[in-house]
Amino acid sequence: MKKRELLQKLAGIQTIESVMDILKVDKRMAIYYLYVLRKDGYVKTRRQSNNRRVYNISLDNKLGGKSYYDIINRYSPIKISTPVIHKIYGKEPSLEETLIYAIKTKSLRTILASLALFKKINNWVELYHLSKENHIERQVGALYDLARSIIKVRKMTTKFRSSALSKEKYKFEYVIPELKSRDFTKIERVWKIHLPFNKKDLEEYR
Amino acid sequence: MITIDQQQKLLLNVARRLTKKITVYAIGGTAMMFLGFKDATLDIDLVFENEKDRAIFKEAVKSLGYLEMDAIKIYGTKRNTPEMFKLNDERFDLFVVEVIDFIFSENMRKRAEQIHQFEKNLILKIANPHDLILMKCATDRIKDKDDARKIINSTKIEWDIIIEEAKNQTTLGKERAVFDLTGFLEDLRKIGVNIPSEIMGRLFELIEKQVKEKKKNL
Repeated sequence: MKKRELLQKLAGIQTIESVMDILKVDKRMAIYYLYVLRKDGYVKTRRQSNNRRVYNISLDNKLGGKSYYDIINRYSPIKISTPVIHKIYGKEPSLEETLIYAIKTKSLRTILASLALFKKINNWVELYHLSKENHIERQVGALYDLARSIIKVRKMTTKFRSSALSKEKYKFEYVIPELKSRDFTKIERVWKIHLPFNKKDLEEYR
Repeated sequence: MITIDQQQKLLLNVARRLTKKITVYAIGGTAMMFLGFKDATLDIDLVFENEKDRAIFKEAVKSLGYLEMDAIKIYGTKRNTPEMFKLNDERFDLFVVEVIDFIFSENMRKRAEQIHQFEKNLILKIANPHDLILMKCATDRIKDKDDARKIINSTKIEWDIIIEEAKNQTTLGKERAVFDLTGFLEDLRKIGVNIPSEIMGRLFELIEKQVKEKKKNL
Protein backbone atom coordinates (compact mmCIF):
# COMPACT_ATOMS: atom_id res chain seq x y z
CA MET A 1 0.00 0.00 0.00
CA LYS A 2 1.30 3.46 -0.89
CA LYS A 3 2.21 5.77 2.00
CA ARG A 4 -0.16 8.53 0.89
CA GLU A 5 -3.06 6.10 0.62
CA LEU A 6 -2.18 4.72 4.03
CA LEU A 7 -2.11 8.22 5.50
CA GLN A 8 -5.48 9.09 3.96
CA LYS A 9 -7.09 5.96 5.36
CA LEU A 10 -5.65 6.30 8.85
CA ALA A 11 -5.67 10.08 9.35
CA GLY A 12 -7.07 10.92 12.79
CA ILE A 13 -6.92 9.31 16.23
CA GLN A 14 -6.41 5.54 16.10
CA THR A 15 -5.74 2.56 18.30
CA ILE A 16 -4.12 -0.65 17.11
CA GLU A 17 -7.58 -2.25 16.88
CA SER A 18 -9.00 0.58 14.76
CA VAL A 19 -5.98 0.35 12.43
CA MET A 20 -6.55 -3.41 12.07
CA ASP A 21 -10.21 -2.75 11.41
CA ILE A 22 -9.71 0.00 8.82
CA LEU A 23 -6.98 -1.80 6.88
CA LYS A 24 -8.48 -5.26 7.40
CA VAL A 25 -5.10 -6.67 8.46
CA ASP A 26 -3.79 -8.65 11.42
CA LYS A 27 -2.01 -7.04 14.39
CA ARG A 28 1.48 -7.72 13.03
CA MET A 29 0.73 -5.89 9.75
CA ALA A 30 -1.05 -3.05 11.57
CA ILE A 31 2.08 -2.49 13.70
CA TYR A 32 4.19 -2.53 10.52
CA TYR A 33 2.02 0.08 8.79
CA LEU A 34 2.19 2.31 11.88
CA TYR A 35 5.97 1.89 11.84
CA VAL A 36 6.09 2.98 8.18
CA LEU A 37 4.10 6.15 8.92
CA ARG A 38 6.00 6.87 12.13
CA LYS A 39 9.33 6.65 10.31
CA ASP A 40 8.20 9.52 8.10
CA GLY A 41 6.99 11.58 11.05
CA TYR A 42 3.23 11.22 10.54
CA VAL A 43 2.51 9.51 13.89
CA LYS A 44 2.47 10.88 17.42
CA THR A 45 1.84 8.35 20.18
CA ARG A 46 0.49 8.90 23.65
CA ARG A 47 -0.66 6.53 26.34
CA GLN A 48 -4.01 6.45 28.05
CA SER A 49 -4.35 6.01 31.81
CA ASN A 50 -4.72 2.26 31.27
CA ASN A 51 -1.39 2.26 29.39
CA ARG A 52 -3.02 1.67 26.01
CA ARG A 53 -1.37 3.43 23.08
CA VAL A 54 -3.34 6.01 21.10
CA TYR A 55 -1.95 7.14 17.75
CA ASN A 56 -2.48 10.61 16.36
CA ILE A 57 -1.87 10.24 12.62
CA SER A 58 -1.74 13.39 10.55
CA LEU A 59 0.19 15.26 7.88
CA ASP A 60 0.46 18.10 10.41
CA ASN A 61 2.75 15.96 12.55
CA LYS A 62 5.21 15.78 9.67
CA LEU A 63 4.94 19.45 8.80
CA GLY A 64 5.74 20.37 12.40
CA GLY A 65 5.57 24.04 13.30
CA LYS A 66 3.48 25.62 16.01
CA SER A 67 -0.01 27.00 15.71
CA TYR A 68 -1.56 29.78 17.79
CA TYR A 69 -4.28 27.32 18.77
CA ASP A 70 -1.65 24.94 20.23
CA ILE A 71 -0.56 27.77 22.52
CA ILE A 72 -4.09 28.75 23.53
CA ASN A 73 -4.89 25.10 24.28
CA ARG A 74 -1.73 24.77 26.36
CA TYR A 75 -2.70 27.60 28.72
CA SER A 76 -6.48 27.74 28.62
CA PRO A 77 -9.02 25.53 30.39
CA ILE A 78 -11.22 26.08 27.32
CA LYS A 79 -9.89 23.99 24.46
CA ILE A 80 -10.29 24.92 20.81
CA SER A 81 -10.63 22.52 17.93
CA THR A 82 -10.55 24.23 14.57
CA PRO A 83 -10.10 23.42 10.91
CA VAL A 84 -8.13 26.66 10.51
CA ILE A 85 -4.47 26.00 9.74
CA HIS A 86 -1.99 28.71 10.62
CA LYS A 87 1.40 27.16 11.35
CA ILE A 88 4.52 29.02 12.36
CA TYR A 89 8.02 27.71 11.67
CA GLY A 90 11.41 28.84 12.90
CA LYS A 91 10.14 30.68 15.95
CA GLU A 92 7.89 30.13 18.92
CA PRO A 93 5.02 32.64 18.78
CA SER A 94 4.86 34.69 21.96
CA LEU A 95 1.80 34.77 24.21
CA GLU A 96 1.35 38.41 23.28
CA GLU A 97 1.22 37.58 19.56
CA THR A 98 -1.17 34.74 20.30
CA LEU A 99 -3.56 37.02 22.17
CA ILE A 100 -3.57 39.54 19.33
CA TYR A 101 -4.18 36.73 16.81
CA ALA A 102 -7.08 35.44 18.92
CA ILE A 103 -8.73 38.87 19.09
CA LYS A 104 -8.30 39.34 15.35
CA THR A 105 -10.11 36.06 14.61
CA LYS A 106 -13.29 37.71 15.99
CA SER A 107 -14.33 34.22 17.05
CA LEU A 108 -16.25 34.16 20.32
CA ARG A 109 -14.80 30.88 21.60
CA THR A 110 -11.24 31.67 20.55
CA ILE A 111 -11.34 35.03 22.34
CA LEU A 112 -12.96 33.42 25.37
CA ALA A 113 -10.23 30.77 25.55
CA SER A 114 -7.48 33.33 25.04
CA LEU A 115 -8.48 35.28 28.18
CA ALA A 116 -6.44 32.69 30.10
CA LEU A 117 -3.29 34.05 28.43
CA PHE A 118 -3.48 37.12 30.67
CA LYS A 119 -2.37 34.84 33.51
CA LYS A 120 1.03 34.52 31.83
CA ILE A 121 1.45 37.68 29.77
CA ASN A 122 4.17 39.90 31.18
CA ASN A 123 5.70 41.67 28.20
CA TRP A 124 3.37 44.66 28.18
CA VAL A 125 5.64 46.64 25.88
CA GLU A 126 5.35 43.99 23.16
CA LEU A 127 1.62 43.65 23.74
CA TYR A 128 1.11 47.39 23.44
CA HIS A 129 3.25 47.55 20.32
CA LEU A 130 1.35 44.70 18.67
CA SER A 131 -2.08 45.95 19.67
CA LYS A 132 -1.29 49.46 18.42
CA GLU A 133 -0.10 48.00 15.13
CA ASN A 134 -3.45 46.24 14.80
CA HIS A 135 -5.50 49.14 16.23
CA ILE A 136 -6.94 47.04 19.05
CA GLU A 137 -5.34 48.59 22.16
CA ARG A 138 -8.69 49.34 23.78
CA GLN A 139 -10.02 45.85 22.98
CA VAL A 140 -6.97 44.36 24.72
CA GLY A 141 -7.45 46.66 27.71
CA ALA A 142 -11.15 45.83 28.04
CA LEU A 143 -10.53 42.09 27.74
CA TYR A 144 -7.80 42.38 30.38
CA ASP A 145 -10.21 44.02 32.83
CA LEU A 146 -12.74 41.34 32.04
CA ALA A 147 -10.18 38.57 32.60
CA ARG A 148 -9.15 40.23 35.87
CA SER A 149 -12.71 39.95 37.13
CA ILE A 150 -12.74 36.16 36.76
CA ILE A 151 -9.16 34.87 37.02
CA LYS A 152 -5.89 35.84 38.64
CA VAL A 153 -3.85 37.78 36.10
CA ARG A 154 -0.51 39.56 35.95
CA LYS A 155 -0.68 43.27 36.62
CA MET A 156 -0.99 45.51 33.58
CA THR A 157 1.57 48.30 33.58
CA THR A 158 0.25 51.80 34.17
CA LYS A 159 1.98 52.89 30.98
CA PHE A 160 -0.07 50.40 28.92
CA ARG A 161 -3.28 51.41 30.67
CA SER A 162 -2.78 55.14 30.33
CA SER A 163 -1.64 54.90 26.70
CA ALA A 164 -4.46 52.60 25.63
CA LEU A 165 -7.27 54.00 27.73
CA SER A 166 -10.16 55.61 25.93
CA LYS A 167 -9.92 59.30 25.13
CA GLU A 168 -12.91 61.64 24.92
CA LYS A 169 -12.93 61.70 21.12
CA TYR A 170 -13.11 57.93 20.77
CA LYS A 171 -16.32 56.22 19.69
CA PHE A 172 -17.57 52.87 20.96
CA GLU A 173 -16.12 49.90 19.11
CA TYR A 174 -16.76 46.17 19.16
CA VAL A 175 -14.55 43.16 19.88
CA ILE A 176 -16.97 41.09 17.79
CA PRO A 177 -19.30 43.13 15.57
CA GLU A 178 -22.84 43.56 16.95
CA LEU A 179 -22.15 41.75 20.24
CA LYS A 180 -22.63 43.74 23.45
CA SER A 181 -22.46 42.73 27.08
CA ARG A 182 -25.31 43.06 29.57
CA ASP A 183 -23.17 42.30 32.61
CA PHE A 184 -19.89 44.16 32.05
CA THR A 185 -21.17 47.59 31.06
CA LYS A 186 -18.83 49.28 33.53
CA ILE A 187 -15.73 47.91 31.77
CA GLU A 188 -17.34 48.76 28.43
CA ARG A 189 -17.78 52.39 29.44
CA VAL A 190 -14.19 52.71 30.70
CA TRP A 191 -12.66 51.44 27.45
CA LYS A 192 -15.50 52.43 25.10
CA ILE A 193 -15.48 48.88 23.84
CA HIS A 194 -18.44 46.51 23.64
CA LEU A 195 -17.50 43.17 25.16
CA PRO A 196 -19.01 40.03 23.60
CA PHE A 197 -19.46 38.14 26.87
CA ASN A 198 -21.93 37.97 29.72
CA LYS A 199 -21.29 36.39 33.13
CA LYS A 200 -22.79 33.10 32.03
CA ASP A 201 -20.31 32.81 29.14
CA LEU A 202 -17.44 32.85 31.60
CA GLU A 203 -18.68 29.95 33.73
CA GLU A 204 -16.05 27.61 32.32
CA TYR A 205 -13.41 29.72 34.10
CA ARG A 206 -14.99 29.27 37.54
CA MET B 1 13.54 16.88 -6.25
CA ILE B 2 12.91 18.66 -2.99
CA THR B 3 11.15 17.00 -0.05
CA ILE B 4 8.88 18.57 2.57
CA ASP B 5 11.68 18.84 5.13
CA GLN B 6 14.13 20.34 2.63
CA GLN B 7 11.50 22.76 1.41
CA GLN B 8 10.78 23.95 4.95
CA LYS B 9 14.47 24.50 5.65
CA LEU B 10 14.83 26.37 2.39
CA LEU B 11 11.84 28.61 3.05
CA LEU B 12 13.14 29.32 6.55
CA ASN B 13 16.47 30.34 5.07
CA VAL B 14 14.73 32.63 2.59
CA ALA B 15 12.53 34.08 5.35
CA ARG B 16 15.60 34.97 7.43
CA ARG B 17 16.94 37.00 4.51
CA LEU B 18 13.77 38.93 3.76
CA THR B 19 13.92 42.59 4.60
CA LYS B 20 10.16 43.04 4.88
CA LYS B 21 7.08 40.98 5.73
CA ILE B 22 5.61 39.56 2.52
CA THR B 23 2.69 37.32 1.65
CA VAL B 24 3.02 34.78 -1.15
CA TYR B 25 0.69 32.13 -2.52
CA ALA B 26 1.95 28.61 -3.11
CA ILE B 27 0.63 26.92 -6.22
CA GLY B 28 1.81 23.75 -7.90
CA GLY B 29 3.98 21.13 -6.22
CA THR B 30 4.69 23.21 -3.11
CA ALA B 31 1.00 23.61 -2.37
CA MET B 32 0.43 19.93 -3.14
CA MET B 33 3.03 18.96 -0.56
CA PHE B 34 1.44 21.12 2.12
CA LEU B 35 -1.94 19.60 1.28
CA GLY B 36 -0.57 16.06 1.43
CA PHE B 37 -0.95 15.19 -2.25
CA LYS B 38 2.76 14.80 -2.90
CA ASP B 39 5.99 13.96 -1.08
CA ALA B 40 8.44 15.85 -3.27
CA THR B 41 8.48 18.45 -6.02
CA LEU B 42 10.83 19.70 -8.70
CA ASP B 43 10.08 23.38 -8.35
CA ILE B 44 8.63 25.85 -5.89
CA ASP B 45 5.89 27.82 -7.66
CA LEU B 46 4.94 31.04 -5.92
CA VAL B 47 2.57 33.86 -6.81
CA PHE B 48 3.22 37.36 -5.44
CA GLU B 49 0.70 40.14 -4.99
CA ASN B 50 2.99 42.77 -6.50
CA GLU B 51 6.32 43.27 -8.21
CA LYS B 52 7.85 44.89 -5.11
CA ASP B 53 7.35 41.77 -2.99
CA ARG B 54 8.82 39.59 -5.71
CA ALA B 55 11.89 41.84 -5.89
CA ILE B 56 12.44 41.47 -2.13
CA PHE B 57 12.05 37.69 -2.40
CA LYS B 58 14.39 37.57 -5.41
CA GLU B 59 17.12 39.34 -3.44
CA ALA B 60 16.79 36.79 -0.62
CA VAL B 61 16.94 33.88 -3.05
CA LYS B 62 19.95 35.32 -4.86
CA SER B 63 21.78 35.77 -1.58
CA LEU B 64 21.39 32.01 -1.06
CA GLY B 65 23.29 31.40 -4.29
CA TYR B 66 20.39 30.79 -6.68
CA LEU B 67 21.01 31.82 -10.25
CA GLU B 68 18.50 33.29 -12.66
CA MET B 69 17.51 31.05 -15.56
CA ASP B 70 15.61 31.49 -18.79
CA ALA B 71 11.88 30.69 -18.54
CA ILE B 72 11.73 29.75 -22.23
CA LYS B 73 13.43 26.43 -21.46
CA ILE B 74 10.46 25.32 -19.38
CA TYR B 75 7.51 27.45 -20.47
CA GLY B 76 8.35 28.06 -24.12
CA THR B 77 6.96 31.27 -25.55
CA LYS B 78 3.92 31.42 -23.28
CA ARG B 79 2.88 34.78 -21.86
CA ASN B 80 3.27 35.81 -18.20
CA THR B 81 6.03 33.34 -17.53
CA PRO B 82 7.70 33.43 -14.11
CA GLU B 83 11.13 34.66 -13.14
CA MET B 84 13.10 31.51 -12.44
CA PHE B 85 15.99 30.82 -10.08
CA LYS B 86 17.90 27.58 -9.85
CA LEU B 87 20.44 25.97 -7.54
CA ASN B 88 21.35 22.32 -8.14
CA ASP B 89 18.05 20.44 -8.42
CA GLU B 90 15.91 23.08 -6.76
CA ARG B 91 14.07 25.76 -8.67
CA PHE B 92 11.90 28.74 -7.79
CA ASP B 93 9.25 29.88 -10.30
CA LEU B 94 8.12 33.33 -9.22
CA PHE B 95 4.92 34.78 -10.72
CA VAL B 96 3.26 38.11 -10.05
CA VAL B 97 -0.58 37.87 -10.04
CA GLU B 98 -0.75 36.38 -13.55
CA VAL B 99 0.13 32.76 -14.13
CA ILE B 100 0.46 32.27 -17.90
CA ASP B 101 -3.12 32.69 -19.18
CA PHE B 102 -4.78 32.84 -15.77
CA ILE B 103 -5.02 35.50 -13.07
CA PHE B 104 -4.55 34.54 -9.44
CA SER B 105 -7.83 36.25 -8.65
CA GLU B 106 -9.25 37.81 -5.49
CA ASN B 107 -11.53 34.76 -5.06
CA MET B 108 -8.53 32.45 -5.28
CA ARG B 109 -6.75 34.49 -2.62
CA LYS B 110 -9.79 34.22 -0.35
CA ARG B 111 -9.95 30.47 -0.86
CA ALA B 112 -6.29 30.09 0.15
CA GLU B 113 -7.12 29.50 3.80
CA GLN B 114 -4.16 27.45 4.94
CA ILE B 115 -1.36 29.69 6.23
CA HIS B 116 2.25 28.70 6.93
CA GLN B 117 4.40 31.43 8.43
CA PHE B 118 8.17 31.16 8.25
CA GLU B 119 9.93 33.19 10.93
CA LYS B 120 8.48 36.67 11.01
CA ASN B 121 8.62 37.81 7.43
CA LEU B 122 7.37 35.08 5.11
CA ILE B 123 3.65 34.33 5.08
CA LEU B 124 2.91 31.45 2.73
CA LYS B 125 -0.73 30.87 1.83
CA ILE B 126 -1.62 27.59 0.19
CA ALA B 127 -3.90 27.72 -2.83
CA ASN B 128 -7.12 25.75 -2.63
CA PRO B 129 -7.02 22.35 -4.43
CA HIS B 130 -9.65 23.58 -6.94
CA ASP B 131 -7.48 26.52 -7.85
CA LEU B 132 -4.45 24.27 -8.08
CA ILE B 133 -6.20 22.40 -10.90
CA LEU B 134 -6.80 25.70 -12.70
CA MET B 135 -3.17 26.71 -12.20
CA LYS B 136 -2.03 23.32 -13.47
CA CYS B 137 -4.16 23.99 -16.53
CA ALA B 138 -2.45 27.37 -16.92
CA THR B 139 1.12 26.09 -16.74
CA ASP B 140 0.27 22.84 -18.60
CA ARG B 141 3.75 21.29 -18.52
CA ILE B 142 4.21 17.53 -18.93
CA LYS B 143 4.02 16.78 -15.20
CA ASP B 144 1.04 19.09 -14.61
CA LYS B 145 -1.55 16.64 -15.93
CA ASP B 146 -0.23 13.97 -13.63
CA ASP B 147 -0.43 16.38 -10.68
CA ALA B 148 -3.99 17.38 -11.60
CA ARG B 149 -4.91 13.69 -11.76
CA LYS B 150 -3.49 13.18 -8.26
CA ILE B 151 -5.57 16.07 -6.89
CA ILE B 152 -8.79 14.94 -8.55
CA ASN B 153 -8.31 11.35 -7.40
CA SER B 154 -7.44 12.30 -3.81
CA THR B 155 -10.05 14.88 -2.91
CA LYS B 156 -13.72 15.63 -3.37
CA ILE B 157 -13.90 18.13 -6.21
CA GLU B 158 -16.69 20.68 -6.28
CA TRP B 159 -16.79 21.29 -10.00
CA ASP B 160 -18.97 24.38 -9.58
CA ILE B 161 -16.02 26.18 -7.95
CA ILE B 162 -13.80 25.40 -10.93
CA ILE B 163 -16.41 26.40 -13.52
CA GLU B 164 -17.29 29.60 -11.66
CA GLU B 165 -13.62 30.54 -11.40
CA ALA B 166 -13.12 29.86 -15.12
CA LYS B 167 -16.06 32.19 -15.81
CA ASN B 168 -14.55 34.73 -13.43
CA GLN B 169 -11.28 34.55 -15.36
CA THR B 170 -13.19 35.42 -18.53
CA THR B 171 -14.69 38.49 -16.89
CA LEU B 172 -11.19 39.45 -15.73
CA GLY B 173 -10.15 39.52 -19.39
CA LYS B 174 -8.66 36.05 -19.71
CA GLU B 175 -10.85 34.93 -22.59
CA ARG B 176 -9.00 31.67 -23.14
CA ALA B 177 -9.61 30.41 -19.59
CA VAL B 178 -12.73 28.32 -20.26
CA PHE B 179 -11.31 27.04 -23.53
CA ASP B 180 -7.99 26.06 -21.95
CA LEU B 181 -9.71 24.41 -19.00
CA THR B 182 -11.98 22.38 -21.27
CA GLY B 183 -9.01 21.19 -23.31
CA PHE B 184 -7.07 20.33 -20.17
CA LEU B 185 -9.95 18.34 -18.68
CA GLU B 186 -10.52 16.57 -22.00
CA ASP B 187 -6.87 15.47 -21.95
CA LEU B 188 -7.29 14.27 -18.36
CA ARG B 189 -10.35 12.23 -19.37
CA LYS B 190 -8.29 10.59 -22.09
CA ILE B 191 -5.83 9.32 -19.49
CA GLY B 192 -8.63 7.89 -17.38
CA VAL B 193 -9.41 10.64 -14.90
CA ASN B 194 -13.03 10.65 -13.85
CA ILE B 195 -14.49 13.99 -14.93
CA PRO B 196 -18.31 13.97 -15.10
CA SER B 197 -19.75 14.34 -18.62
CA GLU B 198 -22.19 16.92 -17.25
CA ILE B 199 -19.24 19.15 -16.33
CA MET B 200 -17.72 18.82 -19.79
CA GLY B 201 -21.15 19.63 -21.26
CA ARG B 202 -21.41 22.79 -19.19
CA LEU B 203 -17.94 23.87 -20.25
CA PHE B 204 -18.72 23.29 -23.95
CA GLU B 205 -21.89 25.34 -23.55
CA LEU B 206 -19.84 28.16 -22.08
CA ILE B 207 -17.42 28.04 -25.01
CA GLU B 208 -20.32 28.11 -27.50
CA LYS B 209 -21.81 31.09 -25.69
CA GLN B 210 -18.46 32.87 -25.73
CA VAL B 211 -18.07 32.18 -29.49
CA LYS B 212 -21.57 33.51 -30.23
CA GLU B 213 -20.89 36.68 -28.28
CA LYS B 214 -17.59 37.11 -30.07
CA LYS B 215 -19.31 36.76 -33.47
CA LYS B 216 -21.97 39.27 -32.45
CA ASN B 217 -19.29 41.81 -31.58
CA LEU B 218 -17.49 41.40 -34.89
